[in-house]
Amino acid sequence: MPSVVLEVRNLSKRFGGLTAVSGLDFDVREGEILGVIGPNGAGKSTTFNIIAGAYPASGGDVRFAGESILGLPPHKIAARGVMRTFQHNRPFAGMSVADNVLVGAHTRFGFNVFGKKSLLDEKANRARAEELMEFVGLGELRQADVATLSFGQGRLLEIARGLAGEPRLMLFDEPAAGLTPAELTRVSGVIRGIAERGIAVLLIEHDMHFLLPLAHRVVVLNFGAKIADGLPEEVRSNPAVTDAYLGSHAAAR
Amino acid sequence: MRSLAAFVALSGAAFLMGDYHNDVYRKMLLWITLALSYNFLFGICGQVAFSHFAFYGIGAYSVVILLFQLHVPLPVAIVLGVAVCILVALAVAIPATRLEGFYLALATLALAQLFVVVLNEGGAVTGGTGGIANYRLPAVFGLQIKGAWYTGVIVALLLGTYALLRRLDHSWFGRACRAVRDNPEAAAAMGVDVARTKVVAFALTSALAGMAGMVYAFVDNTVNPPIFGLENAFLLLFMVIVGGAGRHAGAVIGAALLFMLPFFLSPLVGHHHVLVFGVLVVAAILLKPKGLIGFYDAIRRS
Repeated sequence: MPSVVLEVRNLSKRFGGLTAVSGLDFDVREGEILGVIGPNGAGKSTTFNIIAGAYPASGGDVRFAGESILGLPPHKIAARGVMRTFQHNRPFAGMSVADNVLVGAHTRFGFNVFGKKSLLDEKANRARAEELMEFVGLGELRQADVATLSFGQGRLLEIARGLAGEPRLMLFDEPAAGLTPAELTRVSGVIRGIAERGIAVLLIEHDMHFLLPLAHRVVVLNFGAKIADGLPEEVRSNPAVTDAYLGSHAAAR
Repeated sequence: MRSLAAFVALSGAAFLMGDYHNDVYRKMLLWITLALSYNFLFGICGQVAFSHFAFYGIGAYSVVILLFQLHVPLPVAIVLGVAVCILVALAVAIPATRLEGFYLALATLALAQLFVVVLNEGGAVTGGTGGIANYRLPAVFGLQIKGAWYTGVIVALLLGTYALLRRLDHSWFGRACRAVRDNPEAAAAMGVDVARTKVVAFALTSALAGMAGMVYAFVDNTVNPPIFGLENAFLLLFMVIVGGAGRHAGAVIGAALLFMLPFFLSPLVGHHHVLVFGVLVVAAILLKPKGLIGFYDAIRRS
């Protein structure tokens, strides 16, 4: 069985009197696509932001490759091998697509800016960025200004930029949001390809039609707590899930 | 090879000029040098700082005080002068970058004002309101560098500054600076230490401004408080905005243009050229946010 990359243990987050996440447990393994779903306000984004280091947790632990990453600033979490995408694309304006991808490789450079070592680093990372742009399907646009990309291409850029950091875990924040059906197919294919490379994938998503065919395993949240955990087909037929997700009316149908 | 040709051409030009034109020429070269490093700080790294010209003054005063008040040898004075600039820069940047961007502007504005106050109140050390004058560059290997030959030193400084900043801009550090400018949160998610990147860029460009100030100290062989007043900090900002923030060529064009403009405007409008500058800057921000270099790009593309 592939080794566990991410362990979330008894994770809790309170905003004042509101409990956004309570006692949450799950694992993500190498090469596995884990989907976290739930209706709006279920605590998906809060969980995501705690793992990525944007929010502190109120309790519990997040362990990556056996070590706790809870409380580390985002740049240190990235340096350990956890990269992410943003739901609303955040490209670096005024830079080419290739340079945007190279920012993702930031932690793969030695400290030196001058000298032969740094030139070799630059060359190696550029070659890898080229590969990644081909992999996500932006090969033709490598020299384009990011401002000229469509929303869907921007999402692919987010993915390539994250991969440039050579992550062991990729976090996707609602990767389906705002995409056309053709772009959804493309992004699904890319995410499958990432998992095939042995990278652990954690997806936060509320679009079940996108997520269920893609995920290997699904965790369902409602009101900050886990209500189901299993294979997509198990989750799909779980009455508690349809109840929470679609309302009891849909479950009865 | 190309940089050698540029060095020969730019310093050779000084030998063809009279004393007056040579003086104007090398001050323009110094402004271009300052605009290049300020462009890296403001245009590329996105830090709105008003201390750049003060660091030019700190460099100039440091080297003069070290050489002629403390009688330190020239190479030691240069190293210590750069060290002073870096230390002051770190003292300002480390607390300021922990806060939001606006506070860097305030902290650096305060530094620039404080610097002039210190110069005026510095007594015998800074020479007070009259500053320090009537000194001369110590001989280097028995040679007294002066006149058009000293312009060669300024050209070397300009080209060295340009080469360094260009190299940095095309490295992971330059990309990190631009990423921090555009979207600090996304930059952090890519593994960029946002605070450290800002502090390093600030200290580095401030040290470059200090080195330009050291070279400037022997252009007029006098340093005094009015030279380093706040209006020049704003002029530097205008140069980078009018030329095109974030582009080296923009900094060069903006600095050369705004430095030379008063020479042509003075016969027409007297001292009101500042008014023309104001209009120019507002026009650039409203109509051509990418500056003259962006305008040039648009023409070349069409």
